Amino acid sequence: MNKESMSRRDALKLGALGTAGLAMLSASNAMAAAPTEKDVKFDEEYDVIVIGTGFAGLAAAAKAAERGYKVLILEKMGRIGGNSVINGGGMAIPNSSWQKKYGIEDSGEQFIKDCLKAGLGINHVELLETIVKRSQDALDFSIKCGAKWQDVKPAWFGGHSAPRTLVTDNMSGSGVIKPMHEFVEKLPGCKIMTRTKMDDFVMSNDGLSVLGVTARINYRFDVKLLSDDVENKTGEKKVYRAKKGVILASGGFSMDKIFRKIQDPRLVEDMDATNHDGATAGALLKAFQIGALPVHIDWIQQGPWASPDERGFGVAPLLTQQGLFKFGVAVDVRNGKRFMNEMADRKTRADAEYVILREAPKAYPVAIGTYNTFDTQIYPQIEKGLQGGVMKKFDTLDALAANYKIPLDALKETIKKYNEDAKNGVEDQFKKQTLKDVKGKEAIEMKGPFYAIRLVPKPHHTMGGLHINTKAQVISANTGKPIPGLFAAGEVTGGTHGASRLGTVAVTDCLTFGMIAGETI
Amino acid sequence: MRSKKTLLALGFFLILGVMSLVGSEVNASSPQLKITPELKEKFTLKPHHEKLSFKCVDCHEGQGDDPENFKAIDDKGCLSCHKTKQYLADRLKFMDNLHTNPHNSIHDGPKLYCDECHFEHKKSDNMCLSCHSNDVKLWMRPTP
Repeated sequence: MNKESMSRRDALKLGALGTAGLAMLSASNAMAAAPTEKDVKFDEEYDVIVIGTGFAGLAAAAKAAERGYKVLILEKMGRIGGNSVINGGGMAIPNSSWQKKYGIEDSGEQFIKDCLKAGLGINHVELLETIVKRSQDALDFSIKCGAKWQDVKPAWFGGHSAPRTLVTDNMSGSGVIKPMHEFVEKLPGCKIMTRTKMDDFVMSNDGLSVLGVTARINYRFDVKLLSDDVENKTGEKKVYRAKKGVILASGGFSMDKIFRKIQDPRLVEDMDATNHDGATAGALLKAFQIGALPVHIDWIQQGPWASPDERGFGVAPLLTQQGLFKFGVAVDVRNGKRFMNEMADRKTRADAEYVILREAPKAYPVAIGTYNTFDTQIYPQIEKGLQGGVMKKFDTLDALAANYKIPLDALKETIKKYNEDAKNGVEDQFKKQTLKDVKGKEAIEMKGPFYAIRLVPKPHHTMGGLHINTKAQVISANTGKPIPGLFAAGEVTGGTHGASRLGTVAVTDCLTFGMIAGETI
Repeated sequence: MRSKKTLLALGFFLILGVMSLVGSEVNASSPQLKITPELKEKFTLKPHHEKLSFKCVDCHEGQGDDPENFKAIDDKGCLSCHKTKQYLADRLKFMDNLHTNPHNSIHDGPKLYCDECHFEHKKSDNMCLSCHSNDVKLWMRPTP
């Protein structure tokens, strides 16, 4: 990282690590170019090297190993699965076998339209078309690897014009990662190394093709460092050859305190995010170093369904997305009024919350709903939310308003109007698409009890990344053509989701393009 | 019930105590490392290990005689006494019903490295807290 490209404050902070820190900075400057074949001696040789063990990495590895390739999978963390293993386990599939089974009408065109609307029209449509064509295959492949999906009517997530989201049996991405990890471990020729960090791509002598990677084994990620990628010197160096190529599936950078702030200065260092600690930009930057083409890097999505009353992802996203937001309301605590379509896309909702939080940083909006708003599969989570204190339960609206200091009469008026609109089948002020399901009934049941969660946006998904084609080949900025030997899938890639990703399309994106990378290589 | 447990525990510690004594005799040829009060303070032991009068080389086997150069002993070291990860998961099986067994979590099963959470010479750090900050105190005691 060049000092001039960082803010003075960041540079000072890194410098504050002392001379050792500065020495490290200059050391990394000295490594400006990727090593070439003549600079290294390969310790081991494989057909395929996969970087990362999330949905995309494991799907790619499983597919490649199934085809008979010898595959090495590198994971810098001690834990398998990165963000995927702590993810909510929802996968949106347009036109799926599940939708047909439960009589839901949908179409690929409608899915692309929904994605483009949330993505502000800047999505790379050919990648969305690929998802439409192949996501059912990706679902079937996950099932082949042992993943189990709840056999219920697909869930309806914000910004989607139809219910199209399947959820794993344990309501976590681990419902896919755990069986896929076991599947990969059992495949002959597949080897997973954790606590092994990829450092550099090894290039052919002409600098045009990727031949392998340098890495460090026994690497210990250090959460206390401002930039683990720059400062961490643990581990011992190894060089691995990849005869067919390298598949980069290293994920996004929502936890990269320096890089995310350079892209979006609102994301200060101490800001909480929903991601695991290892979600940094290191591997992405290495791909840029060898000429990979960047796309949409500064579109960082914030989850509008998170809560300031817990760390990280927590339980609030489940209880709001598959609960309070569906038939309930979110109100501005200062005036008791609604301020957004609770079922809009993430960017629209996060921006609406920010309007309030900029004016009054502690005036976290409150989502309110009654028992009827929760999807059946979310019932077990309700008690969890209440016990931990993230969600609160009140017998009356009076008690709820008093707790959050919401003007009572205004709140009652808001809910009265909202319920009337829902009951009469009239489109409400924010055109909420789910209200047609409660026509003739109360959306918020006035007999109570009432459930409430405070809201704050948290960095969640980095839309931008490497430019890939529909075969998961990474495109070179120097040639405009695929970089021989380099493939990428998942959050490290960009373009698919445009400015903002629709909920539960990440799993779809990662599994689909991971599978395709494993097929192409 | 309680007294039986205490007796068992006492017996366990006695046996281990004797074993560690025997061990120290067997290890007589290994590097002699004097455990000074300063060293004890710098590399504190967890109470349950302290009680067993562990010496540095009981864990840091064959790593020379300079504590500053000792390396982490990895899962293999821990499991040389604590059997297997599955065994540890089964010991907390009663927590499986509520999906709160840290040794067999919904996310990872019995597969995490011991030292994602447990540290001998510094405060342990419960990994579950990074997402379940409010729940962990309801689920389990502080990480030993």
